[in-house]
Amino acid sequence: MKKQTFPGTLDALEPIRKYVEASALSAGLDRKVVYKLCLAVDEIATNVVLHGYEEAGLSGDLKIESSMEDDRFVVLLEDSGRPYDPNVHTVFQAEFDQPLESRKIGGLGIFLARDGVDELQYSATGNANVHRFIVRLSQT
Amino acid sequence: MPLQMSSSTEGKTARLNLAGELDATSAPSVRNALEHVLAGQPESLVLSVENLTFMASAGLRILIFAKQKQPGLKIYLLKPQETVVETLKKTGFYQSVYIVDREEEMKA
Repeated sequence: MKKQTFPGTLDALEPIRKYVEASALSAGLDRKVVYKLCLAVDEIATNVVLHGYEEAGLSGDLKIESSMEDDRFVVLLEDSGRPYDPNVHTVFQAEFDQPLESRKIGGLGIFLARDGVDELQYSATGNANVHRFIVRLSQT
Repeated sequence: MPLQMSSSTEGKTARLNLAGELDATSAPSVRNALEHVLAGQPESLVLSVENLTFMASAGLRILIFAKQKQPGLKIYLLKPQETVVETLKKTGFYQSVYIVDREEEMKA
């Protein structure tokens, strides 16, 4: 689906989810798979806005694009904020057995982002950070 | 769909009705409403979420906030959608909240 650009603020989250939902459904993905993909993109977009832009005192856009690559549906999310690689953040899943009273609040979004897709890739080139969310169609 | 929310308190039970999408944009207003109802020291919190169609980790953090603000609080999720239940299960929240389909299932 054609690339769209939104301002890198939290107001972009809803239109980004709508974009992902519409493009994934039209690619034939199952509704549950689409929900998980939307959640994954939403979590990363949230992190980019809060940590990559706001916390770093930067502003910029969120660009989103989707395409079919062989048997894979791919969503690209690009930003120009402070680099933020979701794959270097450790998620302590052992924490998940703890009662909520003693749970830490960090790491949940990254966990849901990784869990929501078959593969989550990250690359930083020059001023651009690109997250690639990959869903294999054979599993849907 | 933007989040729609209302809250009420009846006896020792506080209630938040949430419909639409709960993400990082809408979470602060839910947290404010929650703080408001928790000020009355309820024993139970009922989150009526039948029409909550999306919940990001910002929603999970609100549950943590409620439990840490008031340990011992019983949290009921009334009629959550399957996708929301899935998120609760895989993040371990399932064991700390009660999922119910009918109000009568809530323990006194």
